[in-house]
Parts: sequence; structure tokens; C-alpha cells
Amino acid sequence: MSQPPKTAVKRRDFLKVLGSTGAAATAVGCSQERVEQLIPYLVSPDHTVPGVSTNYATVCRECAAACGVIAEVRDGRAIKLEGNPDHPVNHGALCAKGQSALQGLYNPDRYRGPMIRQGDALAPATWEAALTLVRQRLDEARAANGGGGVRFVSQHENGSFGAFVDQWMSAGGFGAHVAYDPEADLAARAANQAEYGTPWPALDFSAARLIVSIGADFLDGWGASVAHQLSFADARAKLGDAPRFVYVGARRSLTGLNADEWLACRPGSELAIANALLAAVGGAGGGTIAEAAAASGVSEASLQRLADELRAATPSLVLGGVKTPDAHLVAQAAARINRAAGNVGVTIKPDAGLAGIGGAVGAQAMAALATEMNADAVRVLFVRGANPVHSVPKAALFAEGMAKVPFKVSFSSYPDETSELCDVVLPDHHGLESWGDSEPVRGTLGLQQPVMDPVFNTRSTGDVLLDLARSNGAMASRMPWATYRDFIMSRYPTGRGAFTEALAKGLGQGSSLARTVATPTLASTATAIAGDGEFFLVVHPSPALGAGAGANKPWLQELPDPVSKIAWQSWVEIHPSTAARLGIAPGDHVTVTTAAGSVTAPAYLYLGIQPETVAVALGQGHAAYGRYAQGIGVNAVDALGAAYDGGGALALSQAKAQVAKAAGHSRLVTVEGSARQHGRGIARALTAAQLAAGETGEAHHEFIGDASHEFLPGLRAPVANDAQGDMGSQGSNDKGMYAPDHWSGMASRRWAMTIDLARCTGCSACVTACYAENNIPTVGARWQGRSLRPFHTADGAGWDTTPGANILKGREMAWLRIERYFEGGEDGASDFETRFLPMLCQHCGNAPCESVCPVFATYHAPDGLNVQVYNRCVGTRYCSNGCPYKVRYFNWHGYGEVDRRQYAFPEPLHLQLNPDVTVRGKGVMEKCSFCVQRIRDAENVAKLENREVQPDEFTTACAQACPSRAITFGDAANEAWSVARQVDDPRAYHVFEELNTFTAVVYLQKVNHPAGGTR
Amino acid sequence: MASLVQPVRPNVATANIQLPGVESYEQVDREIAGTLVPTRGWFLLLGVSILLFLWGAGTWVYQIYWGLGNAGYNPPVMWGVYIITFVFWVGIGHAGTLISAILYLFRAGFRTTIYRCAEAMTVFAVMTAGLFPIIHIGRPWKFFWLVPYPNWRLIWPNFKSPLVWDVFAISTYLTVSATFLYVGLIPDLAVLRDRATNPFKKRLLAVMSLGWRNSEPEWRHFARMYLFLAAFSTPLVLSVHSVVSFDFAMALTPGWHATIFPPYFVAGAIFSGIGMVFTIIIPIRKFFRLQHIVTINHLDAAAKLALFTSMVVGCAYLIEFWVAWYSANEFEQAYFWNRVFGQWWWAAWIMLTCNMIFPLSLFSQKLRRNPTWLFILSILINIGMWYERFVIIVPSLSHEFEPWQWSGYLPSWVDVSILAGSFGWFFMWFLLFIKNLPVIAIAEVKEIVPPRLRSHQVPTGVDVAGHHLDYSPETPGERD
Repeated sequence: MSQPPKTAVKRRDFLKVLGSTGAAATAVGCSQERVEQLIPYLVSPDHTVPGVSTNYATVCRECAAACGVIAEVRDGRAIKLEGNPDHPVNHGALCAKGQSALQGLYNPDRYRGPMIRQGDALAPATWEAALTLVRQRLDEARAANGGGGVRFVSQHENGSFGAFVDQWMSAGGFGAHVAYDPEADLAARAANQAEYGTPWPALDFSAARLIVSIGADFLDGWGASVAHQLSFADARAKLGDAPRFVYVGARRSLTGLNADEWLACRPGSELAIANALLAAVGGAGGGTIAEAAAASGVSEASLQRLADELRAATPSLVLGGVKTPDAHLVAQAAARINRAAGNVGVTIKPDAGLAGIGGAVGAQAMAALATEMNADAVRVLFVRGANPVHSVPKAALFAEGMAKVPFKVSFSSYPDETSELCDVVLPDHHGLESWGDSEPVRGTLGLQQPVMDPVFNTRSTGDVLLDLARSNGAMASRMPWATYRDFIMSRYPTGRGAFTEALAKGLGQGSSLARTVATPTLASTATAIAGDGEFFLVVHPSPALGAGAGANKPWLQELPDPVSKIAWQSWVEIHPSTAARLGIAPGDHVTVTTAAGSVTAPAYLYLGIQPETVAVALGQGHAAYGRYAQGIGVNAVDALGAAYDGGGALALSQAKAQVAKAAGHSRLVTVEGSARQHGRGIARALTAAQLAAGETGEAHHEFIGDASHEFLPGLRAPVANDAQGDMGSQGSNDKGMYAPDHWSGMASRRWAMTIDLARCTGCSACVTACYAENNIPTVGARWQGRSLRPFHTADGAGWDTTPGANILKGREMAWLRIERYFEGGEDGASDFETRFLPMLCQHCGNAPCESVCPVFATYHAPDGLNVQVYNRCVGTRYCSNGCPYKVRYFNWHGYGEVDRRQYAFPEPLHLQLNPDVTVRGKGVMEKCSFCVQRIRDAENVAKLENREVQPDEFTTACAQACPSRAITFGDAANEAWSVARQVDDPRAYHVFEELNTFTAVVYLQKVNHPAGGTR
Repeated sequence: MASLVQPVRPNVATANIQLPGVESYEQVDREIAGTLVPTRGWFLLLGVSILLFLWGAGTWVYQIYWGLGNAGYNPPVMWGVYIITFVFWVGIGHAGTLISAILYLFRAGFRTTIYRCAEAMTVFAVMTAGLFPIIHIGRPWKFFWLVPYPNWRLIWPNFKSPLVWDVFAISTYLTVSATFLYVGLIPDLAVLRDRATNPFKKRLLAVMSLGWRNSEPEWRHFARMYLFLAAFSTPLVLSVHSVVSFDFAMALTPGWHATIFPPYFVAGAIFSGIGMVFTIIIPIRKFFRLQHIVTINHLDAAAKLALFTSMVVGCAYLIEFWVAWYSANEFEQAYFWNRVFGQWWWAAWIMLTCNMIFPLSLFSQKLRRNPTWLFILSILINIGMWYERFVIIVPSLSHEFEPWQWSGYLPSWVDVSILAGSFGWFFMWFLLFIKNLPVIAIAEVKEIVPPRLRSHQVPTGVDVAGHHLDYSPETPGERD
């Protein structure tokens, strides 16, 4: 089902081609201009104006946080997701996962209609046939034991759906409904519930003076990352007064890389450290520093310093979020530290917090279900959204259990490992095609509405369940609603009319959705990390792919991991000193063996991992799940046994492991060239002390003899100034559009951007936003590689089918990339600093790319944009050679051409393409345009409304999405715009200012808070 | 005085080149026209060349269809084998014009027997080079947008871009060198016409020789025209490769952005061209049995030119390093270190040994006069000069300002096929040329047939003025 498009050249065809000569060459290349017909609507649907977007507020379903999103719909197709600015969780920002929901909606591997198993394979069927079969088997199950053998597994969803299924199951007299969430931090929720009385209190980072995270990756997947990030960035934006951040953990995650200091402890020793800190702040039940040092391998001095700091800095914020079997105890200890330090109510706000996340269960519950199935106690299994076959350890025997269930029904949209084992597939609508609700924070309801007609022949699971209930009198009376929407509206606290009104904003008041679930009691013990082996194995969710749900979305596969910068691949993180000892070079295959199993993947040498530890990310290793996910990397769950934390979630750091070099070597699919900036002052930072002393920067190499520009903002455009000033033509006063008083007013503007590195966390949401907005092709899929030899066969032999083959060749197309530079730690032992630098076209006022283009395909617009005209580009690539920032990207293959093997938008992914932006053909250069389509749109709208463009009226896609609010875009020539004020910041600098490029992107230096700083 | 007559080993390039093996004008006509008979070996070589060319052309079509991604580009190395090969072939072309035009103006007699070969090489090399910018671009079917043609939309190329200058430089160079080659051929075409038996061929040659009748006024006009074209071509030798060097020098890239590039490139071009002349002329004189016309002395003199240009090029290499150090420019220094001791050390050392070190062997007269060594050396020079362009282009782009974007580069089968195809294309033309037109200039060789042969007088001694050494039959090299 997931064959790449059959476009390989046969040998005969190649010989025919070979026979022709240069004349033919010119003929075959010009086939891009496809003739299509435009037929306007005779009677236009309501609210549909061709070419004008309609925006619908709805709910993101990519994780439990249930952020609010605004879906931009053009001509009946959703083309972009942006955060809902009024939403209490995400305040307008949206992470990469959330934005990629569109690629779930338009996923080419979605089930296009109901399927029924015929022999070994699922075959398309009609809804009538599929529903009849399900009805019949349900009746049989009911007849057998009153329906007690029916089980329902759903992907946990914030909102009413869980309660709806509960009601349906009990109406039918069926067995349990389990709402599975493989990514939820159930241990922390259980501990929070026990300590704070709420599963997820709101965290106010900016109120803290010291942040200590004990394995809590609050920026990459631990809880509501977007909400945390907004608050964390606000805290960091306090610059000199910002809280110092210490990360304690075995592996430096993205969150860890944002820390000022990292204490590398052994996995499993976090509890001892937490207890020592608890004692330091005077809490009961703590431990000693000496014990913690002995257990963790962290020096006593460091721990003592941290303890002293924690005692001194109030308020502080201590988070416990490890994934060990004793995670609940660590979280509990962290909560007790907060209580003892007086942080509760200041930095920890139990009365705000996330709601609607209750009722989720982890892998332990799935293992229990598997036991039931293996005992032949389950007759009918319903699965919706969840993919336990992939995410539950093999030791739980889930797949084997499913094989014993006589009838399995999947509501999954995608052919994942679990649904491929089912007998009937009743594909659900995607979240963007569905009704629903959520309670993101207590007292606020997020409303989910369909933003477009279903892409495929799918039906809402709620409606299907109601349909199934209708055929049974008893069930029908307990499930009286005509549709699932009806059910949602009936639950809305203030009535149907209010629901319809609230829909426009996507938010309503009230709280009625809580699913009644028993509060788990927090266990006071935990199993220890066990097993043979010299090393600890740390498994962690991938920031982009999560536990695997993101793997079928090419944007997320293509998004380099924020830490390792690897895409389309699995890797084993190993400390350089350990690798040297074992004779392992980067890319050498490494086998990690635990008692439960083993995984083999190429080694990535990472300074940010404790030397006795190796780490593997979750997310890859799919045996099914569509063309983008299948056969890429390894599933780290294969090395995990059935060990769970106190919340019932799978303990990801549960075992010791043996690490051995295996046969084989794979080049790492990384976008990283050098991880060091070689003193070139690209990503700059100041310490808080330097900032306080009024210093403007650290030492870095510069051209000798070149003075800095006195106009630091550097927003002058010599090209425009030439036309206006001394260097303009002496013979003519006509400066055309470059004259500031030209009627177009273009030259009076200077579009510019500031990027605050103190805020940026490297999360990469901006990168995905750029892909979505600008129709950037993903290039890492198996069928997008280059030819390896002249003769190909139809099955793809002869092409480079390595996942990420193009990225191995440095051909990723990300107009905006996040560079991740390390500073310090060269000795492999001392702590190091990480600097994230979003790099995009700098829109130089004096652009080296412009003068070298032979055909004016790139030129300088009067309003300061460095413009790329795709239609004019002949593809000499000289502009890229001239560019010191290396932000120009070339279309090496026909990524935008349907007929080409490397086509990046297989049907119906192309429905996502932004109609305002050209899809580039092969052989042309492309680059960041500062979202010129948005600029022109804002200008046109202002003109239609006969007014000026208002300051900060619009922004670019990256700035819009950024959950750190690190990016500010606007007109730097007009003081009313925020960007014009930000460029006056003393931290402002240009990258490679000495090259006289007069860039329009101004970076604001990061501010570090080293230990023993001025605080 | 007679006792002072000693066998003289010519160790300076001299206008007084003598061909003792040539007995008469008729012999010149006979022997050179005799090379035009096709042989089995020639057909074999031509067949190989055409196959190579077709393979390259087919690969190009394939590349156009499937995209440039099938070549080995590894951004930010956005220029690769094609631009390397472009510069390589343009460079090859330069020696031809140097030998035919500049040495003509300088009255360097040793050029006479090798210039036709070199001039033809120039034309075909430029024809080859001119293809590469088109092969290299992303949308080759739009290459004419680089040409300033009048159009309704009033869109012109960007005259600031060195690539546009390239279009002018290459097209001018091709036009002038082809004209120069043709004009030089006119008297020879007349000789072939007179010896032709096939009436069709005779007629064709008559038209091509413009009805040359060997009259005094014709010779006068011919000589004037030839001199004029030589003078016209001379600045092109300097300008064309200077323009090519601007493709690099005008970009900000470390390793490219250097004022030394124009002279450095011109010297390199001449050096590479002389290498290619050796590669071609040594087999020709052997297989056509023309060792008595293209004598060891001619090779010796050309080898000195190679030695000289090698030292100029070597000096430029060293100056680049010195400037990188002296500039105190961190980016430049890092780049040059990486070039020679880092990632690209192997390529840089191929370049340095082939272009700087091996040619130093030419200080030995024995080796200068050893055609086998000269042939081997010429192959090394060709390789070294290809790698010189590789070293300029690839390491610079792979190690620029932005460390995050540092990369590597490895050509693919497509690059290699098209590179091989370019040799097929070049040698196809050259092989067709040597069997259809005289590869040694008949008329000019006749000019240097010693006057004594014209008058059947035996030389008696040394020129007391010392300006010219009289012919001595024992002069080594003249009969080898």
C-alpha cells in the first residue's frame, strides 16, 4: 500500500533517451507548465470566496494539552494551522507537532474508506457491509456473555469523547474502556494529584529565581510544552534578572540544553538527589548530599552548591519528570521541595493548571488488557487512535493477545501496526474534520469543529457508535443523540445557542467534561533499575515524533531532532569518551542489549549524555503506518521490558544494558556541519554579569581593519540608498520605486526581523511553520533519493533509497534552520553550553547574491526584501556561492512535479499547499522570502480599506508560530513597529557584520547565568 | 674559423629552428598530406570517442529529466565537476592561442610545427568548455536568458554578474580562435586542393581555400591578416581567463575572493594548455612519423615554457597562502589550513605535486628532451590542473563562513559520465580534424625549410655575428 510512485526509468527507456542528443534535451525539460482549467463556482457555497481564506477555531488533537488552533481554509481546504491567540494554553503559538496535524489530515496513507479483512489483508468495503458485520459480531458477543468480553481502547483525548465511550460501553453492557496515552507523564500527574491536589498545576517560570529540573523535559513533551515554553521564554527575557536554570539528568534533552548548568547523574539516582535537595530546603524525609553524590556520580561540591543555591533563591521551581520506575517518587520529592521552599502558589499554581487530562492510562493498563486477551477473555476489541502494538513492550504480548481476540475493530485513520491486525477498519474523521470539545484549563472549554469536508470516505467514530447503538433498543435509549455533535452540544453548560456562539472563538466558559475516574493512589515504592550490563539505557520520547504518532508526517520526519539534529533515522547517543573506549566512531552501528531485547542503530557521539549511559529515542521503527514511517530506524521499545512507574506508564529508563559495536556503519542523516562555531561570533551570548557591566559582547574573530558599522541596526539598504544618494546616477533624478517619495511608498519601508536568542529554545516550531506556509518540499523519503547507477528497474533498484538520502547530501530545503552550536566541554568532561540560532535569509541590504545573478532572478525590492523570482531563475546557483549565511536552497529534483519520482506532495498532501506561494520546479533556487505573500496581502488589505498598514498588524509564519516569542518581524523604518524598538537593544548584533552585508535580521544575544554569577 | 664549429645543443627557444630531415617543399606536402589517410587505429579511437560522447550526452538528457540532484552536489558545494571541467577546458584552450598568436608575434620559431595542433585544440576545447555552463545550470533550456537579446519585456541580463561576462568572453574567444584557425589553414587547404583526386573533395577544398592561387598579393594580404588576427587574439589570452577567474574572485567566498586570481588563472590556463599540447602532439608525431618535423628541439623549447608557467602557478599558490596569513583573516586562514592539511589535503597535494613539483624535472635537459617523460608529465599536468580547479571550487564552498554548513563532496556517476563525455566530444572533433585537415601547418613549415636546401648549398661555418647559429647536421634533436 505504501509503494512509492512508479516512475523509475526502465533500461529500454533509458537507451531511447541515451540515443537522443542535446536538441531533445531542451524539449524534455520544459514540461512544467501544465494546462489546467479554472472553472468558477456557478453558485458559490456560503462563506466561500475564491482566493479568500476563512478561518475556523478548533482544537489540536496531537497531544493531551489540547491547544486551540485556527485553521486557515481556502476554497474548502485547510491549508495552515496557527495557534488560537485567545486560548489559555498556547496563546497563539503552536508546536511543530500541532502544525503537522495537517499532514495527518492529508496523509496519503490514510484509510480512504472502511476495510474488512479478507484472508491476510484488509480489503475496501462499504460502510453498510462493515457496520453490518460489526453489529452482527457485537450481537454475538452480547449473546455469549452479555457483552462482558467487549473492550475499547482509545487514544486518550482531552474532552468529552472518553465519557461518551464510557457511556456507550456501559449502555451496551460491555467491558472496560481504557484511554491510553503512551506519552503522558502519568507518574508526575499521580504525584501532583497527591501533593497539589491537581494533576497538572500551572508553572510560572518567570516568577522563579531558580529553576531546577530533575529530568523534567518541560520544553519537549513533558506536559503542555507550548504553555511551558511561553512562560519559560518570558522568564529568560528578564535577562539579568532571569532565573538560573539547572538541569539534573542522565541525558541533556532539549530542555537540558536550555539549562545554564547540567548535573549529569546516573539514571535512577535522581531520587537521591531530589531527597538531598529536599533536606536542603528543610523538608521532611530527605537524604544527604553524600548519599546523592555516591548514587549519582555527581560531585558532592556541585550538589552542595545546588542545595545552597536552592536554599538561597526563593521562590524557586523544582520539577521532577524522570522516566525511571521511581518517577512518581522523584515527582513527589520535587513537589515536596516546592512545598518546603514555599513555591506552591507562587511558581506552582495548582488552581490554574491543565484540566481534562484525567483518565489517561499507560502501558501497564495495556499490558493488563493483553493478559486478558491472552486468557481468551476478550471477544471484541475496539481500538481508536491508539497504537499499542508499537508502543507497548513486547513482553506484554499485546500483538499475541490481539491474535486471540476473535473480532477486532479499528477506528484508526492510518494503517498502523495495531489496525493492520484488526478485522474491520471503520476509519474515523481526522480531528480537523470532527466535532469535539476539550477542557484545556479548568473553567474554559475548547470547542472543536470540522474545518472542511472529509477528505476521504470516513465517518466520525462518535456517529458510528451512535449508529451501532441505534440497532439495539436498550442502547438506543441510553444513547439518544442523533449525532456526536448533538452529544457535544447537549453537554455544553450554557446550552446549544451559546455553543454555536462560542464556536466562532473556539472557546467557551464552563466545566462539564470531567470523566469520572478513580484517583490512583501513589505507590510509595518502586522497582530499581535492574539488569546486567555496564551501561544504563535511557529511552526518551522524540520531541517531534513523540512515541511514534508523528512518524507518518513528513514534516516531522524531516524536522531535525533539536538535540542531535538527525532526521529520518534512529541513533544511539553515546558519550565521546565511552565511544573512544569502545572503539566506536560516529555512525558505527551499536547494539544495545537489555534483558528484554536489543536495538541496533548508528552511534551519535553526544557530549550531553552521562558517560555510563546510552540513549535511544522513541518514535521510529514502524513495521506499518504508511510510506513515511515504515522501515525507518528502530523501535526503542524493543529493548524495554514490562516495568512501569507509579503512574502506570512505561518506565523508559528501566534497565541496564550491554553496549557492543555491531557490524555495519550508516552515515548519520544530520544537518549539522560543524557543531562548533570556531569563535566566529555567529551565536553570541553574554553572561548576566557582563550584561550588568554594560559589555556588549564576547570576543570573537573579526576582520582586522574593518570597523563596526555605526548604524548597528544595519537596516540601511545600500542598493536603495544608491538609487537615492551619492552612488545613484548623477545624470538622472529618477530613482523609480527606490525613491522614498515614490507614490508606492515602498522605499519608505524596511522589512526586518529580530531574533532574541535569550528567548529561543531551539524547539523548531518555526521550521515546521515555514514548511507549511511556503510549500517547502520534504526531501528525505525513500523514493526521493538520487540515482546511483544508470539503469533502474521499476521496483526502485538503482535509486538511493536510504531514508534521508538527500539530507546526507546536504540537500534539505528548510528555508529556516535552527543551528545548534556547542560552547565549551571540549575536554569531554566539563559542562558545556548550547546556543540555538535560527538562521534564515538575512535579506541583506548589500546582498552578495544579488550582484552575481546573471538574470536578475534575485534582486533588491525597494522595501528591503531580497527577492527571488523563481520563474526567472535559470539555476546557476552562483547566488548560493556568494551567500555567507548559506541560506539558499536548490531544487535538485522535481520535488514539485507530479510525474517525477521525487515528488514531495503525493495526493492528497498537495491539498495543503498554500495557494499564495509558488510550488517550485526543479532547477531553481529558493529561499526565505520574509513571507512576502503575507506582506503583500497586508498591504493589499490596507489599501482596500484605504488605510496604512498598522504596526504589528501581521507577522511571518515563523514569528507567528514561535512558542518562545523569540521572533519579531516588521518595518524597521517605522518606530511604531516593535521590531524598530528591538533593534536598539544593546544586545543586538548582525551575523558576519564585518562582511558589510547590512542584514535585515538582527539577533539579540543570549544571556547566560553561570554558577556563582551575580544573582 | 671552421675549427670553432662545434655541435651545438640549443638551450634557448630560438627563431632559428631548422629541419634537417626535410629535403624539399614537395616532401613537406607529401608527408603532411599523407597523414590524412584514415587508418584502422584512427577509426578505433574515433569510435571510442563517439561512444564516450554519446554516453555523456545521454547522461545529460537523463540529468535534465531527473534533475541535477543525480550529480554529486552536496550543498553548499553548489558548483562541482561541471564548473571544474568548464574551467579546465577553457584553460586548455589558452595555450593554443598563446602558441599560435603570442609566440607568433614574438617570433618564437619553435611554435611553427606545433601551432596548428594547438590552435585546433583551442577551438575544440572552447567548444567543449562552452557546453559546461549550460550542462551545469538547473534549467538549461533557459540558458539563452544569459544572452542580451532584445525582447518585448525589456528584460536584460545583469551586467554586474561575472557569468554574463563569461558569455561574452567565451563566445568572443570561440569566434576569434576559430577564425584564426581557419585563416591559417587557407594556404594549406589550397595544397590539399591541388593534391585531391576526388572531384567533389577538390571542389569543396577549392571553396574552402577561397580560390587561393599562391600569388604575391595573396601572400601579402594573408600575412597582414594573420598578423592582425594574432594581435587581436593576444589580449584575449589574458582577458578570457581573467573573466573566468572573476566567476570566483567576485564572490565573497574565502579562497575565491582574491585579487591575484586573474594572473593566477591565466598562468594556470597556459600551463594546462601546454600540458594538453604535449599530450596530443607527442602521440601525433610518433604515429604520423613526423619526428623530423616536430623535433625534439621544439618539444624542448615548449617544455621550458611549461616549466616557466609551472613556476608562475606555483608562485601564485604560495602567494595565496602568504596572503591568507598576512591578512590575519580568520576565515581565510581556516580555509587554507583545511585545504592543505584538513579535509581536502589529498586533492591539494595532487595539485601541488603535479603542478609544482613534477614540472621541476624540466630543469633537466635530458628529461626535457625525453618525449616519453614529457608525455607522462603532460598527463600529470592535466590531472593536476583539473585538481587545481577542484581545489579552488570544492574546498572553498565546503568550508565557508558558516561552520554549521560545512560539508563534503563526492561526484556521482552522472558527473563522471559527463566529464568522460566531454573528453569524447573533444577528441571526436580533434580526431576528425587530424584526418581531414593538416595537423601541421604546411605553408609555415615550408617557410622554415633551411635556405640551403632551397639552394642546395652546404653550410660552411658559424655566423660570426653570433646572432644565429648556423645549421649543423649534428645538432642533437633535429633528427631524433
